[in-house]
Amino acid sequence: MKNTKARNASGYMFLTPWLIGFFLLAIGPILVSLYLSFTRYDMVGDPRWTGLDNYIYMFTRDRRFWKTLEVTFHYVVFAVPLRLIMALGVAMLLDKGLRTIGLYRAIFYLPSLLGASIAIAILWRQLFSIDGVVNQVLAVFGIQGVGWITNPQTSIYTLIVLAIWQFGAPMLIFLAGLRGIPKDLYEAADIDGTSRLRKFYAITLPMLAPVVFFNLVLQIIEAFKIFSPAFIISNGTGGPADSLLVYTVYLFNEAFKFFRMGYASALAWVLLVIIGLFTAIAFATSKYWVHYENERD
Amino acid sequence: MAVSRRKFLTTTGGLALAAGLPSMPAFAQDRSIRHFWWGNPERDKRTFEVIEIFDKNHPGISVSGETIGWGDYWTKMATQTAGRNMADLVQMDYRFLFEYVRRGALQELDPFIGNGLDLSNFDKGPLQGGMVDGKLYALNIGSNSQVFVYNEAIFEEAGIADTDVINWTWDQFADVCKTITEATDGKVKGSDDCSVVLEVCEVWIRQNGSSFFGPDGDVTVTPDIIADYWQFWHDLREAGVLRSADKSLDANLPMSDVGIVAGDTAISNFWSNQIVGVQALMQDPVGAAMVPHKDGGAPGQFIKPSMFMSLTRDSEDPEAAIMYMNDWINNPEATKVLGLERGIPANPDVRAALAPDFTPAEKVSVDYFNAIQDKVGPLPPPEPKGAGEVRDAFIRAGTDVVLGYTKPQQAAEVFVDDAQAIIDRAR
Amino acid sequence: MNATEAALAETELEAERDEAARVAHEYRLAKNKRERRSRLFKHIFLIIFSFIMLYPLLWLLASSLKPENEIFGSLGLWPSTFNWSNYTEGWEALPVSFTVFYRNSTIVTVLCVLGNLFSCSFAAYAFARLEFTGKRLFFGLMMMTLMIPYHVVLIPQYVMFLKLGWVDTYLPLIVPRFLASDGFFIFLMVQFFRQIPRELDEAAQIDGCSAFKIYWAVILPLSLPALATSAIFSMIWVWEDFLAPLIYLNDIKNYTVPLALRLFIDQEGQSAFGQMFAMSVLSLVPVVIFFVAFQKLIVRGIATSGMK
Repeated sequence: MKNTKARNASGYMFLTPWLIGFFLLAIGPILVSLYLSFTRYDMVGDPRWTGLDNYIYMFTRDRRFWKTLEVTFHYVVFAVPLRLIMALGVAMLLDKGLRTIGLYRAIFYLPSLLGASIAIAILWRQLFSIDGVVNQVLAVFGIQGVGWITNPQTSIYTLIVLAIWQFGAPMLIFLAGLRGIPKDLYEAADIDGTSRLRKFYAITLPMLAPVVFFNLVLQIIEAFKIFSPAFIISNGTGGPADSLLVYTVYLFNEAFKFFRMGYASALAWVLLVIIGLFTAIAFATSKYWVHYENERD
Repeated sequence: MAVSRRKFLTTTGGLALAAGLPSMPAFAQDRSIRHFWWGNPERDKRTFEVIEIFDKNHPGISVSGETIGWGDYWTKMATQTAGRNMADLVQMDYRFLFEYVRRGALQELDPFIGNGLDLSNFDKGPLQGGMVDGKLYALNIGSNSQVFVYNEAIFEEAGIADTDVINWTWDQFADVCKTITEATDGKVKGSDDCSVVLEVCEVWIRQNGSSFFGPDGDVTVTPDIIADYWQFWHDLREAGVLRSADKSLDANLPMSDVGIVAGDTAISNFWSNQIVGVQALMQDPVGAAMVPHKDGGAPGQFIKPSMFMSLTRDSEDPEAAIMYMNDWINNPEATKVLGLERGIPANPDVRAALAPDFTPAEKVSVDYFNAIQDKVGPLPPPEPKGAGEVRDAFIRAGTDVVLGYTKPQQAAEVFVDDAQAIIDRAR
Repeated sequence: MNATEAALAETELEAERDEAARVAHEYRLAKNKRERRSRLFKHIFLIIFSFIMLYPLLWLLASSLKPENEIFGSLGLWPSTFNWSNYTEGWEALPVSFTVFYRNSTIVTVLCVLGNLFSCSFAAYAFARLEFTGKRLFFGLMMMTLMIPYHVVLIPQYVMFLKLGWVDTYLPLIVPRFLASDGFFIFLMVQFFRQIPRELDEAAQIDGCSAFKIYWAVILPLSLPALATSAIFSMIWVWEDFLAPLIYLNDIKNYTVPLALRLFIDQEGQSAFGQMFAMSVLSLVPVVIFFVAFQKLIVRGIATSGMK
């Protein structure tokens, strides 16, 4: 009994900053947004209670809601795995002792540094325009390109390419994780003549699992919430024929362009449930493939 | 451990306090007002200069200038509105004016006219643009109109430099597009495709004697007129004299991506206060043409305020704010600094005082403005709530037509229904 | 065991040892050769790959040197004339000099990075290593804060900070960082902390170390790569953060660098793209320096930890 108390005391002590932040700064606005999701709120007057109207409209009458779900899932399904594979591949390449490694790391991180700036928006539109660099390169191979961003069939892929190309953040986390794998494990495997592939499956992946898990969960969350790249590349519109209308861009426009903060809040809570579901699945399956060093549970 | 926590917290607080300090005003003044506008480096410089002039002339009042680019302006404005913390004076756009007025975010200016706000020398036409339901809510600080900007060098090259671009018709426009495309071997197309540009479509609608919204805010345009509009562009597109379809699906292109600036076309649509900006991005000289007329039709174009200044609901010192507003339009010191940057001023004395210092591009826009005065129609009635969303719906419908997913007639019928549904939902 | 047997055993052992050494030597030679060849391939691959990754920066550099009317319309990377004035004039082009924006950004960034590292490692330690009632619930809530789209809490949060009188100060940007507002870093550190062998804590506990001592003397030093990664991310993200400064800072004298960059662009009218690009390039410099300096720690951290 006393033991529990003492443990609680030190646990809560370390959690104090977070608890203060959560209860004073975070939970209030979150609950307010939940309340707003049941209202009609134009941000100038006071919110007006409308019950479930927003949710009913969303699921029964809002065609763009389904469109934005489709676009978002399309993005998530491609961007998450491809970005993770890219990040892990490059991280493993960079983990080996090359002398100029710091330089390469910096170079590979650069696209991520440019983030979702105006500069990237302009560059991306130029690169993928009908007479842009991408099509010039394709022309060398005799391929006739299209206007990638302005064509509703292809525009989402330019967004996915951008996501893959900005793999810096998960790469860095993988690198930090790879550094945590004891070298002697590999040396022992080398002496046994283990193949590279086998080493990857038998040593790297299991040892890296907690970090892979982290990146997977975070990438899922971030991909569902993708905003800035889609927003800037489409100039805030959601692109031709709504082909770049990812969920949060739709939400943002509903709130700030059309003054429907109540409806936008309802959209946000539906997204929260979707993300929560996928995250919960990830956590549930993690029991089977993520094992922590020396943890009993 | 307790010590370390306390220490941690006090350091945090101390640092946070220190960080908060730089923004405290150095010394308190009796009265202060805030002015918020969207800008660019040139506009910001001029506006801050005006603020300095005002501060100098009114020692008891301090003005704090707040500025950000257009794209972010409305996000910040909405947030401040929700927080009931709007600046005293905000820059307003015609598109958003009605949304803000109808939601009660702005104050009426009528009580101040002749009572701090001197409008005796102000053109009556431009003043009307800031009225909603018979009351003045926004002061015009520059006017503009629709314009087709064209590349003079290419017109010359194609041998059509003498086209009467003020009085031309849609047929002549189509011919010009063909001539240019042929003269440049298709390297430069005649014009941008305006299928998704509601501003040009609106001109077309008015030329046909209709209007997009009726006085009560309902959609009054018939599908046939819009279908004709889309059919006109469709035919030109088929003839291969327009910018490629996949570059014609965005009505909100950054200026740098528009056909004439990118070198893809010889004609692009703009607002007339953008002429100077377009010229800055181009090497060839540009000229200003009216949106082509319908043969025997009504005037389609109109002169509208390009920017307003409005007094907000949250202003705590409206009198000081009105003093500042008044200086903006009447104090020669201030108007000289402001120049044409925000559009053509509505005070004839101000225009006359500015004339000698015009740059070539400024001259183009002023000449254009003078030339169209008697060829424009009245300002359309104020837009209803939801008009912004209708504009987006128009872009989506136009996109489907451009890409050949739907036929003009069918798309127009669906769009008109959708537009009315959007208006109904916004009520 | 007699002497002869012992001697025999010794020789056998020696022979075995020699054999092992020979095998090891051959193995090392072969390995070196293989490694040298694969290193060459790796370098070639890396160089091509680097160009693709560098292209945007080259483009940005080129655009920052081009005259305004050449940035669009011409596809070539090489400017016709080198227009350094974008840099010199861009620095002073806005009503407030970039010197001020850099000072503001530096204040905010330094404080936020420190705040993130302290508060998030505190919370992560609690989640990863300590047992207390409600841990799972709080962890779930923490993850929830990661999932909610920021735009819908923007307005309630703004109203809250407005009531506190914090609008147009840096407090709304900095204080949340000292209160572990960014679940990303908590979760990241939790994952790394959980990898540290528990025997270390237990040994320290037996030695009478307090929970704080274990956090400070065992967990933190062994988590240098995670801390360095967190420092890099929080530095970059805070430095580039745009939305919060946009909402909370009003006076242009308080603007941060990313906010200032937005002042160059006016979609509807005149913009100064060249100057904006030039200032964008300069705004990358502190981030790159920070990155290069701190990414070294990702290596060193593990090298010194030498887990046993």
